[in-house]
Amino acid sequence: MKVYKVAYLGSDSEAALAFEFALSKAGMRFVSATGDQSGVKKALEFNADIVLWDLDNNPQGKPIPLEQIRKAGLVKQPVAVVVSPDNVDGAIQSLAAGAVDFIYKQVRDDPLPRIVAALNVGQKQRRIDWCNRVIEDTNKQLHGILSTLKDPAYGVSPEYQILYMNRAAEEIFGEGLRGGACFHMFYDRTEPCEICDKSKGPARWRAVLKNGKSYRFISALIRNEKGEVEKIAVGTDVTPDEEVRKIHKTFISNVSHDLRTPLAAIDQYVNIMMDGLAGELTDEQRQCLDVIKRSSFRLGNIVENLIDASNILSGHFKLKTQVATVQEILDIVLDRLQSQAVDKGITLQVQVPDDLPLVYADKARMAQVIANIAGNSIKFTEQGMIQIRAGFMPRDGGRVIISVEDTGIGIPKEDLGKIFELFYRVENDNVYVEEGAGLGLAISREIARAHGGTLWTESLEGMGSAFHIALPIHEGQQATR
Amino acid sequence: MEEGKKLILVADDDKDLVMALSIRLRAAGYGVVGAHDGEEAYSVAQENKPDLIILDVRMPAGGGFSSIDRMKHSLTTRNIPVIFLTAFDDDDMREEAVRLGAAGFFRKPFDDDDFMAAISKVLGI
Repeated sequence: MKVYKVAYLGSDSEAALAFEFALSKAGMRFVSATGDQSGVKKALEFNADIVLWDLDNNPQGKPIPLEQIRKAGLVKQPVAVVVSPDNVDGAIQSLAAGAVDFIYKQVRDDPLPRIVAALNVGQKQRRIDWCNRVIEDTNKQLHGILSTLKDPAYGVSPEYQILYMNRAAEEIFGEGLRGGACFHMFYDRTEPCEICDKSKGPARWRAVLKNGKSYRFISALIRNEKGEVEKIAVGTDVTPDEEVRKIHKTFISNVSHDLRTPLAAIDQYVNIMMDGLAGELTDEQRQCLDVIKRSSFRLGNIVENLIDASNILSGHFKLKTQVATVQEILDIVLDRLQSQAVDKGITLQVQVPDDLPLVYADKARMAQVIANIAGNSIKFTEQGMIQIRAGFMPRDGGRVIISVEDTGIGIPKEDLGKIFELFYRVENDNVYVEEGAGLGLAISREIARAHGGTLWTESLEGMGSAFHIALPIHEGQQATR
Repeated sequence: MEEGKKLILVADDDKDLVMALSIRLRAAGYGVVGAHDGEEAYSVAQENKPDLIILDVRMPAGGGFSSIDRMKHSLTTRNIPVIFLTAFDDDDMREEAVRLGAAGFFRKPFDDDDFMAAISKVLGI
């Protein structure tokens, strides 16, 4: 068992004797010294575990000069004050100054329990102090590192209040934003961003900031020395530079040209044969050509989706917007999907109210989004129906909501948050569907966003899925409602 | 060439595509002459005075754009309608084609029915 060493610093010999008596009985070692520099030195040499500081060393009502004791070398020992019962002020002030406890004179009662308690408190406090110092140092270092970064970095409280911004962040967002709400100041939103709202832990997201550049953010949670949680976010500029952009554009343009050329030839010759322009065909030959045609169509779709995804990621993504009716857009979709639905024996139902406001949209792109979603619905629905409905929602300046609902296999809960990610595919051993590249929904969401709209989903596994697209209505339409 | 048949010049450096289009166009009752680069397209057009020219945008020895430019500056060929074909998907290219007086613009792979319909329309059939 450890033998504790106790040092009494003061000139009250009666008190010193009482301590010595009680402590030696308990097997502790004791030293008595004067309440000045030399006494502190002696306690240090003795390697005391606790210091009993007699307040008679100080003028009446003054606390222990803890700073001086620490400076003199007793940096980690807890200090308990020994005090006359009439010096209550001194005792209280000493506690405030960092003493762990006080012991009244005359030291008649057994002071041992008090000293042991003080030792324990002292040890615990020392550990806490040490941890806090480490946290403080680490946070200081972290902020030091963040402040030298060329990338924007900021810290926010769990209530989305901006606590810290580095220089790079101030250059982008402006100065004097501390205390404001991050989603408002940084992202011009009225509510917390989805990503932080949903995940309280570390997160990753992309954002186009006020300087027009694209950033990829990573956030982490840290705890400051006050024990409060802070979310630190650091963004990396992922805006492709002009030169890279040009090379990328040329590359994609050439690659897509070279992929489409042979596809066009396959298409042409298959059609020539199927139309009987190269002689009569047997049924088997016709079946073979059917497969070639279907495969070439699929390949063509994948190529176009890849080119699309690449254009979206590199920012070469322009909408050809015009005033349009939702019915016009859905007509394109139906034209594309009707036969597919009929082949599978699924009803494709469309409901559009006559008085639906106009939208401002790239018709082909919007049709692509809805056809993609409804196409998935057909793929994952074995029986039942697929409903495409449109409606008006007066919120946010008026929005048209187009919903695609099916009675298909649904989406597992754990996949719901990820299905809009690029290359994400839901793995399902029980369902066989044609391979996809995991591009359609990611592209669709980008197209919806480029329209100033949103695309979201709700689904129950085994029951079906619903995808909703909200599009801003064409300006000037609201008044007519 | 048989009398009364409309003659179409198909110019594409992809010989397979020229052959495929020839088969399809001949089956639809057109006469077809082929070319495989810009220079050849120009001289075949001068020589045969086709009723319609189908031009690939990217070809060796003068792509579709420089060919159409030369043809529009020649008295012999200036009034012949031109339909462009390309595997590029580029809005600037489409706009340039329209500016140069193209009668149509198709991206490969294209729908046969749409393509044949556009040809009939341009030829006024």
